[in-house]
Amino acid sequence: MVGAVAGAAATLLLSYCAFRLHFNLPTTGFIDLLVVVLTALRFGFWEATGSSLVAIGCLDYFFVTPILTFHVADPQNWVALASFEITALIVSRLSVQAQRQMQQAILQRCNAEKLYQLSRSILLLNRQEPPGPQIANLIKKIIEVDAVAIFDSALVRLDTAGTCTKEDEELARNTYFRNTNHDDLELYKWQRVLRLGSTPIGAIVLCGFYLAPLLVDAIASLAGAALERARSFDKETRAEAARQTEQLRTTVLDGLAHAFKTPLTVILTCTSGLLEMKTLSPAQAELVELIDQHSTRLDAAATHLLRMAQLESAEIRLRREQVAIFPVIGEILGKCSAQLWGHSVQVCCANKDLAVSGDRELLAMTITELVVNAAKYSSADSPITVSAEERENYVVISVHNEGSVIAFKDRELIFERFYRSSATKYRASGSGIGLSFAKKTAEAHQGNIWVNSATETGTTFFLSLSANRKEGT
Amino acid sequence: MSPLQSKVLLVDDEPSVRRALHATLSALGFDIEEASGGEQAVSFVRTERYDAVLLDINMPGMGGIEACRAIRRLFPGLPILMLTVRDNEDDKIEALDAGADDYVTKPFHVGELMARVRAAVRRSQATQDDYNAVITIGDIELDPERRLVRKSGNIIHLTPKEFDLLRFLMWHAGKPLTHARLLTSVWGSEYGKEFEYLRTFVHQLRTKLEDNPSRPEYIVTDSHIGYRFRDATQKGLGS
Repeated sequence: MVGAVAGAAATLLLSYCAFRLHFNLPTTGFIDLLVVVLTALRFGFWEATGSSLVAIGCLDYFFVTPILTFHVADPQNWVALASFEITALIVSRLSVQAQRQMQQAILQRCNAEKLYQLSRSILLLNRQEPPGPQIANLIKKIIEVDAVAIFDSALVRLDTAGTCTKEDEELARNTYFRNTNHDDLELYKWQRVLRLGSTPIGAIVLCGFYLAPLLVDAIASLAGAALERARSFDKETRAEAARQTEQLRTTVLDGLAHAFKTPLTVILTCTSGLLEMKTLSPAQAELVELIDQHSTRLDAAATHLLRMAQLESAEIRLRREQVAIFPVIGEILGKCSAQLWGHSVQVCCANKDLAVSGDRELLAMTITELVVNAAKYSSADSPITVSAEERENYVVISVHNEGSVIAFKDRELIFERFYRSSATKYRASGSGIGLSFAKKTAEAHQGNIWVNSATETGTTFFLSLSANRKEGT
Repeated sequence: MSPLQSKVLLVDDEPSVRRALHATLSALGFDIEEASGGEQAVSFVRTERYDAVLLDINMPGMGGIEACRAIRRLFPGLPILMLTVRDNEDDKIEALDAGADDYVTKPFHVGELMARVRAAVRRSQATQDDYNAVITIGDIELDPERRLVRKSGNIIHLTPKEFDLLRFLMWHAGKPLTHARLLTSVWGSEYGKEFEYLRTFVHQLRTKLEDNPSRPEYIVTDSHIGYRFRDATQKGLGS
């Protein structure tokens, strides 16, 4: 309205001045046209239309004969006035359109610049800090929105910047869980799900009246990419740390292995060489044989401990193959006969082809641990029973001994690393990692390990593993 | 063969191990020469003729595996036995793929080491012409020219690929063969990772040849490494 009045007043004033200065009709017509175009550019099309109608009136009143009346005597003047009006309307229309396009172009350029700045800043996020608050602040500062709320699904955290209300925070959370975008054009709230490909990884809510859907989409894409980048970096850092730990452990254990194995190699080479030469007297041969046997035992113990230490501190990676249980038990009993302290071992395995899919070495070490433990803790001269049977989808291996009941409170704790029951810790030697290793092996095989123990029935350790009947490879 | 004829190059960076092995194996009739590293070993085999090389895997400088590759390039037929401290399958596979004939894990008994050295020397002395000769190990007899396999005199029917696999295994009897080596040698160079495929064929062979396929006596598994056919001189399986 102001524009229309100003335009009309300017036209009226200029027409009157032209009349006083004795300008002719065409000159005044051009001056009025200029005013109409300026009104169009400044205020808009309808204001310009008002000015043009006032200009027609002025031209008619001041310059068309008879002057100082609104009467038009000559029909040619009607044509002139009509041409003026049409020209004024067309020119103002075009001017307004050109101006609008220019404004849009400026806005788009401005948005593009902001997005560029945002993307650059997002690349420079501080990797030591959580990404959410940094992204929210950058969007608030660079895009100049009123409020930003970002929900990060991986860290389950909500970060805000600007004048964010509790409602906006809730909205961001809901946007993620409902997995839908929404534009509230009345409240100027824009909700977007942040995605990586088609997977939702979070949500963003933006408040700002001048935002456009395309701009909001672009901001959401940038925020999504930034969140994902931060996650990948985090993952990479953790993997690198794990790799370094693994490398350190391997180096330390390799060093230990070398420190044990080299002297043992020398000792065993000498003893077995002496025995091979067959030049020793019977007494000498017996002594050398004793050194040989005990060095072999020391080697087995060192290998066993190093292997368990290696596995204990790492994630167990199984090398699966078909493992026939019965032959494995036979092999174990053959190898650990020296550690059985004279106990007889009975093997109960009705199905000799019983097999599981698992890591042969780890399973053998676990069963060895159970058998040697049984020998250590059972009462003198009592037999040990090793059984294997199929129960539903599991193969259950059990090792039974008599004597040394495990207290109820210790039955879970004995599978913890370095835990040794107070009842037995002075009675038998042990490292305190055997059973925790056994538990880890059982879990890696999707199985379980547990113990039953009572004075009347003795102690039985059970190891369950998922069954498989295929033949060995 | 008499061990007196066997000249063995012993390569280990640890002087005490070299000293013990030198004294023992010399007393048992082997002619031993020592090298303290990979580079020295390679230069020795260039100038001297050896019947076998005992090569430690973990050595500073040129390691055992690199040295094994270099020696193998110079002398494709020279038996190489790797000595390793770590009971690490990856090392063993790498050594076998680098051309080693066998491996022994430290500490070992000298008797076992001597048996492995002798077996490797014996295998290397079999000439290429023999590739078409009939191989008999235990009850199993394989005639390459007639493509016939007999067990205790009875003909065993094998598919062409089963026959090729068995022939390769028996030709290298006593020697551990990695999965990758078996696949590339029997199926072709484009194979190498199809372990399941190999496992199926080995299972079929065992079903046809073994008395108890779940406890194989002929085609044995070297856990996580590959397979080996029992050595012809193995106890209970006289050739």
